[in-house]
Formats: sequence, structure tokens, C-alpha cells
Amino acid sequence: MQDNAAVDTSSRFSTKYIADNEKFLGWAFLLPAVLYILLLVGVPFVLAIAFSLADVTVGDTTLNFVGLQNFARIMQTPEFWQSLRNTFGFAITAQIITIILANILAVLLSSDFRGKWFALVLIMLPWSTPIALGAIGWLWLLDSKFSPIDWVLRYFSLLGGEGALLGVPKNLYYLGKAQLAQASIIMVYVWRMLPLSAVILLAGLTSIPQDLLDQAEVDGSSFWRTLFQIKLPLILPIMIIAILFSFIYTVGDMAIVFILTRGGPVYYTHVLPTWAYIKGIEGGALAEGAAIALFIFPVLLAAAILILRYSRRTEVT
Amino acid sequence: MAVIETKGLTKYFGEVKAVDGIDLSIQEGELMVILGPSGCGKTTLMRMIAGLEKPTGGEVMIAGENVTELPPRARPIAMVFQSYALYPHMTVFNNIAFPLKARGGFSKEELKEKVEWAASILGIERLLARKPRELSGGERQRVALSRALAKEPGVLLLDEPLSNLDAKLRASARDELQRFQRRLGITTIFVTHDQIEALGMGDRIVVMSGGKIVQVGTPRDVYHDSSNVFVAQFLGSPGMNILEMDDFLVGFRPEQFTLKTHETESDGQKTFSFSVTRVEYLGADQLIYGNIEGYEREYHVVAKFSSESTSIVEANHTYEFVVNRDQLRYFEKQAGSRIEPRSF
Repeated sequence: MQDNAAVDTSSRFSTKYIADNEKFLGWAFLLPAVLYILLLVGVPFVLAIAFSLADVTVGDTTLNFVGLQNFARIMQTPEFWQSLRNTFGFAITAQIITIILANILAVLLSSDFRGKWFALVLIMLPWSTPIALGAIGWLWLLDSKFSPIDWVLRYFSLLGGEGALLGVPKNLYYLGKAQLAQASIIMVYVWRMLPLSAVILLAGLTSIPQDLLDQAEVDGSSFWRTLFQIKLPLILPIMIIAILFSFIYTVGDMAIVFILTRGGPVYYTHVLPTWAYIKGIEGGALAEGAAIALFIFPVLLAAAILILRYSRRTEVT
Repeated sequence: MAVIETKGLTKYFGEVKAVDGIDLSIQEGELMVILGPSGCGKTTLMRMIAGLEKPTGGEVMIAGENVTELPPRARPIAMVFQSYALYPHMTVFNNIAFPLKARGGFSKEELKEKVEWAASILGIERLLARKPRELSGGERQRVALSRALAKEPGVLLLDEPLSNLDAKLRASARDELQRFQRRLGITTIFVTHDQIEALGMGDRIVVMSGGKIVQVGTPRDVYHDSSNVFVAQFLGSPGMNILEMDDFLVGFRPEQFTLKTHETESDGQKTFSFSVTRVEYLGADQLIYGNIEGYEREYHVVAKFSSESTSIVEANHTYEFVVNRDQLRYFEKQAGSRIEPRSF
């Protein structure tokens, strides 16, 4: 008690005990992060809202308030609706595939086997590669003429030639046909998000107390019963966090689509971020670009709130 | 008839011999306590009987059948873990029903009937709709026991089931557990490091040390006729006082080390000169610490008196203390095993 009192009075006059003052320390440590968020997230965000309600273009940045006109205008274009559908279609489909594969991977990785660390390194690779490099790699793999995937298919006589399962043409043109391009993008999203989800789930699985698993074994539970009735329900909160994280990531990402297809063929693979970029930056219609980009905001906000809520729940149990 | 038998049961973890050649035979309806300090291999032994741990060598027989190679679910056993291991996401009802569902072949009504029966044995019918986190420690223990009983196992394995309860609850849980075991007559193995539980509950006690069995016997046997100096010192609170003589050890229990009075004086007593250094008051008992004098070396020993005792002993005084000669125990110096009385 006396020591504390001494610290309090002296800290008012000297800086000797300043590092003992939690109020000061808290602010000092938080300040860089707060500044960073205010300047690089907050300001652009407010600006985007302002732009979306005004008539700014790249050529004329004076703000004239026009109400919801921009929103009304973008909603009349088919490109917008296609982008909106794609954004959620891609993200949701990719999430479903990712979480199934991630569960399988996590269950495999939670058992002990030789070379486990090597498998872990391999699995983490897609996540540790810069996204642009990974996407360019896929661009080559999915090339219309020189796709190695097509080589393999041709080698096994599945493609090119009379009676081949996948058709007579020598190539599949992955990024050239609307549905194949969409499927390719979803696949690359899965490739990208799988490592993170698998490792999050693996952490969840390893955090289940051994006692519970032993108990299930003594209780006569089979592998599948233990998996579906004990393990998966127990890691459900963590699984939801993994899904939401990778959902937010996918919805907000423009690199993969932009590098692989630039939204094509025509506009069939545009997502809201790429469409906002094409419209706002390349097309010069800043206001409409901002309006398009803001469309995902409520969804991302909801996902972020859910993440915070679930992460608190996992702490409790 | 022996319900459980182990023959040369051995478990190595790498170079470490956790369990080293255990031959054990447990009778129908018996409550067998496996007692030992932590790291003595008692839990590993039980886990091998349950099938959770694969033995390095030896056999486990349950009800005459060799189950060594069988997984836990093929063995007629149920187990309660120290943590109770209740499934946190399931209600008490579903926890108790889990082993039944895993076995399969019960209709909804049968399931409900069996769960209610198991719950009624432990008196927890009113808790069936709750989740484990809404239960107290004692209630969790009962749920864990109900779940173990639900599938009517031939053998009940209990791994330190009382050590998560607070001291007050533990005494009543001990009593309840023993009455319930007697009533059902279910063969039970009870692993504990707590000698009070072992002495109070066991029909027989297996004392383990270093992966080996040191002694098997009734509580009275192992306490009064400890076959080994380890057992003598491990049992009792505090354990037996041991005096190291030239070529043997002699020991006596603290409560048998009493102040010499005219009324109690007799030929059958060994008298020691006891210099008291400290008196510790423990409510019902008092412990008297001090040194025995008059030998080549000084021996630190403890005496235990009832607090109601009329003998008044004070620190920094020397008294004459006695032990009845038939209460003295003699042990080999090297191996520590029991030997015939010697004179000293």
C-alpha cells in the first residue's frame, strides 16, 4: 500500500516511475495502432462514404452531394448484379469446400505419423506465398494453350481426340469459359484458404482434453461417432471463426480474380472489389466505384461482429 | 473367482519402465485400491486394464477372457476419470446415454428408462436437463458415475475420482462411493495416491512403487504389517518413524510413541530419551517433533497425541518415551523388506 502511494505521488512530479503507470502505458502502446487505423482505414472509409454520396470523378473531385443517385445507377447495370452474385457465390462455395477439406486435413494431421512436420510445411505453403505470386502460378497452370493440367489430361487420353471424356478440343480453356472460369476461381480461393482453416481446426482439435477422448473410447464410441458427436461439436466455435475469417478474406479479396481473369470472360467473374476498381479507378467514376465497394461493408461488419462474439465464447469454455 | 487378472503386465515408455511385471488378481465384487505416490505406474496399470494403453508385455484377463489385444469398447469395463470427463456440450441425460447409444440397439424408451435408472442410483434425476458447466463438483462426480453404470459394466475403474473435490466433500463422497459399491456389488478398481481413501475404502490395497507391487493386503495388513519399509513410511500421517541401526532398520508408528507414565510402565516396552523440539497443534491431534538421544547418531522422529491427551509435553524439554516392543517393526537395511525382531 505504502509503495503504491509513493509511486502515485512521485509520478506526478517525476518521470522516474512513468513506466509503472498503467494508464499512461496503455495509451502509449495503443497510440500507434490507433493512429494507423484512423489514418489508413478510418479516413479512406469516411472518404468512400462521402464519395458514394457525391458526384466526384477522377477529373473533378469537388464534393457535390447527390444523395443515393450513385447507388441507384450502379444497381441498374447487369455487371453490378453479376459481381454481387459472384462475390457471395464464390465466397460461400469456397467456404463450404474449404471447411470440409480443412476438417479432413485437421483430423489427419491430429494423428501422429512419420514426416508430419513435412506435411505441415507443405500444407502451409499456399498461405505463406504472396497472393499475387500464387495467383500468377495458377495463371500459368490454367493457361488456355499451355496448361500443364491439359497436358496431363491429354496424356491419359481424357482430352483432345475422338471419344475423349472431356471433349475433342485440345484445351479446356479454363479461364475462357464463364462457368469453368468461375469454378477455377473458387478452386484457387480454396487452395489459398485451406491452410489457414486447417491449422485453426488442428489447433482446436489438439485443444480437446485427452481425458474426453479416452472417455469416449471407454464409452465404446467408434471413430465416426467420436468425430461427429464429440470432436466436431467441441470445435464448432473455432470452426465458425475459421469460416468467418476466410469468408471475410475471400469477400474482400481482388487479387486472385484480377490476376486470373480481370473479371472476364465478359464480366462473368467480376466480384465487387474488382468491379469497383474497374469502374472507379480505371473508368474514372470514383463515386460509383465507392458505392460498389461500400456494398460489401455491412456484410463484413456482421462477419466481424460474429467473429468477436465467437472468439469470446471459445475463451470461456 | 478372479474377475480381473494381470500376468507379468509391463509398460515401457521408451527406456522408462512405467509398469514392471505386475501380477494381480481381483475377486468378484471386490473394491481393490491401487495406492502409490505419483509416478509409481498406478494410472498406467489401470489404463492398460481399460485398454487405453497397449502393454509392452504381459496379459490382461477379464472374466476369464484374454482381452490384452482388445480395444476398450470390447471390454466389459467402465471408467471414471479424475477430471470426470463429462462431455461439455451434452446435457446430463445425453452424457449418461452416450455409452448406451454407442453400443446401440436400444429403443428411445429403453434408453430413457436406463438413463433414469442410472441417474436414480446416484440421486441426480433432477439434473438430467442440465449442462455439465451448471453442476457443482460433487454433482459432476455423480453424473460421471451414473454414466459409468448406465451400461452395467462388469468392472468399474475409478482414477482418483475424489481428488477434484474439496476436503469436506471428499469425506462424504468416500462414504457414499463405498456404500454404493457395496450395494451394487460391482468389482471396482480405485486408483489413488491418498492413503486415507485407500485405507478407508479398500477391501484390499495394492501398494505400488517404481512400477512394481510392493504389497497387497487388507488395509489392516498393509498398515500394521507393512512388508516393506517403503509401505511403512508411505502409509500413515505422518509415516512410520525409522531408526537406522548398524545392520538393520527399526520403526514404530507416531501414535504408538507415547510418554512413559507409571500406569503404563511394563517390561514389554522399549524406552527412548526424547528431546522435544516443537509441538504442532492440529485440532484433533498434536504432533510432537524431536530427537531420540543416547545413540551414536541423532534420530528425528514424530509422536502423535490426541489433543485430548492428558500428557503435557513442551518444546525444549527431554522426556522418557516408550513403544511397546510388539509394535516395533524391523526391516532389512538394503532391500527394506521385513525381518525378524532384533535387539538393539
